[in-house]
Amino acid sequence: MTALAHVPTGSGQSAPPPASRRGRYRLLPYLLLLPGTAWLFLFFALPLLQLAAASLYDPSGSLSTGYAMTWAFSNYWDAFQAYWPHFVRSFVYSAIALVLALLMGYPLAYGIAQKAGRWKNLLLVCVVAPMFTSFLVRTLAWKTILSDNGWLVGLLRDVHLLGPDGRLLATPVAVVLGLTYNFLPFLVLPLYASLERLDYRLLEAASDLYASPLRAFRRVTLPLSMPGMIAGTLLFFIPATGDYINAELLGTPNEYMIGNVIDSAFLVRLDYPQGAALSFLLMAAILAIVFVYLRKAGTEEVL
Amino acid sequence: MRSPLRPLSRRGLLTGTLGSAALLATAGTLAGCGTKGAQQTEAACKSDDLSATEKKIAFSNWPQYIDVDEKNESKRPTLDDFVKKTGIQVTYTEDINDNNEFFGKVQNQLKDCSSTGRDIMVLTDWMAARMIRLGWIQKLDKSKMPNVEANVLPSLRNRAFDPDNQLAVPWQSGLSGIAYNGKVTKEVRTIDELLTRPDLKGKVTALSEMRDTMGLLLQSNGHDPANFTAAQFDDALNKLKKAVDSGQIRKFTGNEYSTELAKGDIVACIAWSGDVIQLGFDDEKIKFVTPESGVMLWSDNMMVPNKATHKANAEELINYYYDPAIAAQLAAYVNYICPVKGAKEAMVKIDPELAENPLIFPDDEMLSKSKVFMALDEKQEKDYEAKFQQVIGA
Amino acid sequence: MGHEAPAGDLRLANLTKRFGAFTAVDDLSLTIPQGSFFALLGASGCGKTTTLRMIAGLEEPTSGQVLLGDRDIARLRPYKRPVNTVFQSYALFPHLDINENVAFGLRRRGIRKVADQVDRMLSLVQLEGYGRRKPAQLSGGQQQRVALARALINHPQVLLLDEPLGALDLKLRRQMQIELKRIQTEVGITFVHVTHDQEEAMTMADTVAVMNAGRIEQLGAPADLYEFPATAFVANFLGQSNLLAGEAAGTSGNDVLVAAHGARFSVPAARSRVNRGPVFLGVRPEKLHLVESPAQVPAGHQHIGGVVTDASYVGVSTQYLVRTAWGSELSAFAANSGAGRVLPVGAPVVAYWDPRHAFLLGREAGEDDQTTPLLDEPPVGVAS
Repeated sequence: MTALAHVPTGSGQSAPPPASRRGRYRLLPYLLLLPGTAWLFLFFALPLLQLAAASLYDPSGSLSTGYAMTWAFSNYWDAFQAYWPHFVRSFVYSAIALVLALLMGYPLAYGIAQKAGRWKNLLLVCVVAPMFTSFLVRTLAWKTILSDNGWLVGLLRDVHLLGPDGRLLATPVAVVLGLTYNFLPFLVLPLYASLERLDYRLLEAASDLYASPLRAFRRVTLPLSMPGMIAGTLLFFIPATGDYINAELLGTPNEYMIGNVIDSAFLVRLDYPQGAALSFLLMAAILAIVFVYLRKAGTEEVL
Repeated sequence: MRSPLRPLSRRGLLTGTLGSAALLATAGTLAGCGTKGAQQTEAACKSDDLSATEKKIAFSNWPQYIDVDEKNESKRPTLDDFVKKTGIQVTYTEDINDNNEFFGKVQNQLKDCSSTGRDIMVLTDWMAARMIRLGWIQKLDKSKMPNVEANVLPSLRNRAFDPDNQLAVPWQSGLSGIAYNGKVTKEVRTIDELLTRPDLKGKVTALSEMRDTMGLLLQSNGHDPANFTAAQFDDALNKLKKAVDSGQIRKFTGNEYSTELAKGDIVACIAWSGDVIQLGFDDEKIKFVTPESGVMLWSDNMMVPNKATHKANAEELINYYYDPAIAAQLAAYVNYICPVKGAKEAMVKIDPELAENPLIFPDDEMLSKSKVFMALDEKQEKDYEAKFQQVIGA
Repeated sequence: MGHEAPAGDLRLANLTKRFGAFTAVDDLSLTIPQGSFFALLGASGCGKTTTLRMIAGLEEPTSGQVLLGDRDIARLRPYKRPVNTVFQSYALFPHLDINENVAFGLRRRGIRKVADQVDRMLSLVQLEGYGRRKPAQLSGGQQQRVALARALINHPQVLLLDEPLGALDLKLRRQMQIELKRIQTEVGITFVHVTHDQEEAMTMADTVAVMNAGRIEQLGAPADLYEFPATAFVANFLGQSNLLAGEAAGTSGNDVLVAAHGARFSVPAARSRVNRGPVFLGVRPEKLHLVESPAQVPAGHQHIGGVVTDASYVGVSTQYLVRTAWGSELSAFAANSGAGRVLPVGAPVVAYWDPRHAFLLGREAGEDDQTTPLLDEPPVGVAS
């Protein structure tokens, strides 16, 4: 409003500001944005456009004859019809993995942030250390752990949690455990960052105001760690849903997730329109879920 | 208040979505014409051969697929010998881990008739067939490769995708058959046993390479994998599907089955002979079986892609590796089937025991039972692959 | 939880807290009468906050009792004590609005209808209409009042205040001192106020306890503490003092005789903590008057000669440093009443005092004179 009051009113008498200088400064932020924007455009937006276009190609095209752009929106419906169980499976597996990861990750993050004292950095390194080895190697290690003749299966058989012929490897359990393990750090680190900032004096205040430790957790710690929770769950859930390594290595075809299908569409079956359509369907589904989640988490009086 | 996540606010998300939609529309305009075909011809992608002036060659191969000096792993005796003899410098790169992945790596260059930077690449039959079909491979001059003419195994001549033997020369070959771990199960003789025997349930794997798994199944049905009909394929696929649905087959694998077979998580599987020999060195209870109905013979082939500029040098190298003495030296290290006639005799001098190993030097009986999978045209390949992928779960 | 039960006196009995080898609170015993405004005064690290935290339950005593009436609450979890705290950092919950911050204690005790009480409490601390704001949207003083309301709404038997005004600027602090006192009078709850600010303690509290090294040096009404400190520490911590090292030679009549620096002095026995052995003879600077010659010293007063080494004019008074013959520098404040003139630096003067304003404290043998250098801030009872 005040800015409006200063607009010269027709008299044109007020001296114009040195336009060139001002203009340069006004452009400065955009200039600073330029390299990043160009990078994003070239290596993210353009390929994404390419992919979007590919998803609408004539599905009867082939590598040698090329693909014609026929705006074949039916690709989406066809892909969904053929592979909806894989979509469902992806979301169910990563949701279960997320719950498991929260059950393990929250106490872990809390412990490191609030109780670890001088061991804090060491424990943090322990959380991050597995990331120094490749994703593949870590998942292969789980193969050994869950092996039919490994100690874990042996133990579970001894306590009759598994039948004498029962197995873990090549079951949904293995895939979910693999997802949980592989993406746990993505959940723990943001949670840790949130909980680390938590002022213990607030807990003292809650305790002073008649809140038992459990209630203090529910009313103070939990709501104050919500930003980390939201960031962590998103960082966990999004890549876990699109993952295909865990299903590939720890599961069987019956556990294959949507990532495996996309992988095979692009690399094995060479059905580019379908692969592209599936990628966009996955993106849309994840966006929808994130959207609903943020809305829900946002309307609570927690943030 | 959603301050911590303000960048992802509802309005922001909405704007983002709308923005994406706009971009999408642009994409349509940009790519409205689709893509052109990847089909090329050697003539259209004429390559200049600079071999006479540039004494060098770039060679892409799979990891652990060449002999190395036991004392110094960076030395490769046969290759070093070649360099010494010919003065041609070889840049040897182990950058092929997977046919499909490698295809993804080079397809854009080959499609556009530009150089991949490689003079020789080694790819499996079906991928070789695809690239030949796409016109991405240069014809070799047979007159410059007398060793190949003289020594390539008869069963590897005149293959459907290279009827004149001038596009792809086998580097190493292998058999796909049955393997089992004798420590945890009794012998598995046939594909039908593998797919139905109750004591194997859930402990069997098959290969995710369609040609290996489906070839063996076709044979088990009495059909010829080198020449079959769509109906016969469907028959075999149904047989496979039953085994998947019943839970007999645990999963489909690349060569990662070998550790699980050794541990006993898998007791029997469809396997590659080379892996089984390796496992057999550590544990003689792990055995390879040639089913009565037949085995699949496959090769990894040396090929010169379009725009490779050292074809003559490449031919010289290919010819060199078809010298039986050199071939035996290589076979003694890599343990696959040696595609070079006469190498067996040369091997007797290196390691008499290996010379008698039918999985390196198969006898005529075994070779008579081995088949090379039919060459598929693009449509067949896409259809069969799609059906097969559906059954194996992706 | 017994909040409505008649609150008794708060008694600390032989309360001790050790952190490893360090004794933070050392065998502390004191009684705080119900309904009083009690201040624990001391420098940082003296154990006053630890004492408070033991009363709140945030720290467990190594030994000793915290008695509320007849009940020992020393081992109760903090959320089971009828005691609330106003924290130095306020510790308002950043994710809750002011209403919910204030209602927090009520809700935790299962009370559903809180709106009326919250409104009443907010008006008590003069924050009507701020209920929907978040703590970050309030100023420091407002946050402080929210913290107070949040504690008071629970009608605790004892309200603990841990340096509650420490984060406020001087003007606001003054205002809040008066406010706090008003509220305490209004609600009649026992307030235990921890502070390192002597002025704050003296303005607000009925009773002040000066703590040093985990022990209570002296406890009493503010004026008593100031006029007749029990130890050299109190004499120096509470305002300034000129303490002259001397030897007491016993009582003569109603006076104790003291020899210091070759001169003889006397102090009324009633104002002497000891009457024999090493002593400090103490005179507050404002009780020390300066004249130009011994002839001007009124009868019955005692005096020391010296030279003015510094004179600072601070408006309400002029503060002098006077060097004695043996080298100690005494401080003296002359009120700017218009009478007398400013003495120049270098002028020989005589400093005199009424023996009834002096006090006699015990001294460790070997300790020398203790005189405080000029302070930047005017001391208690002079300028403010």
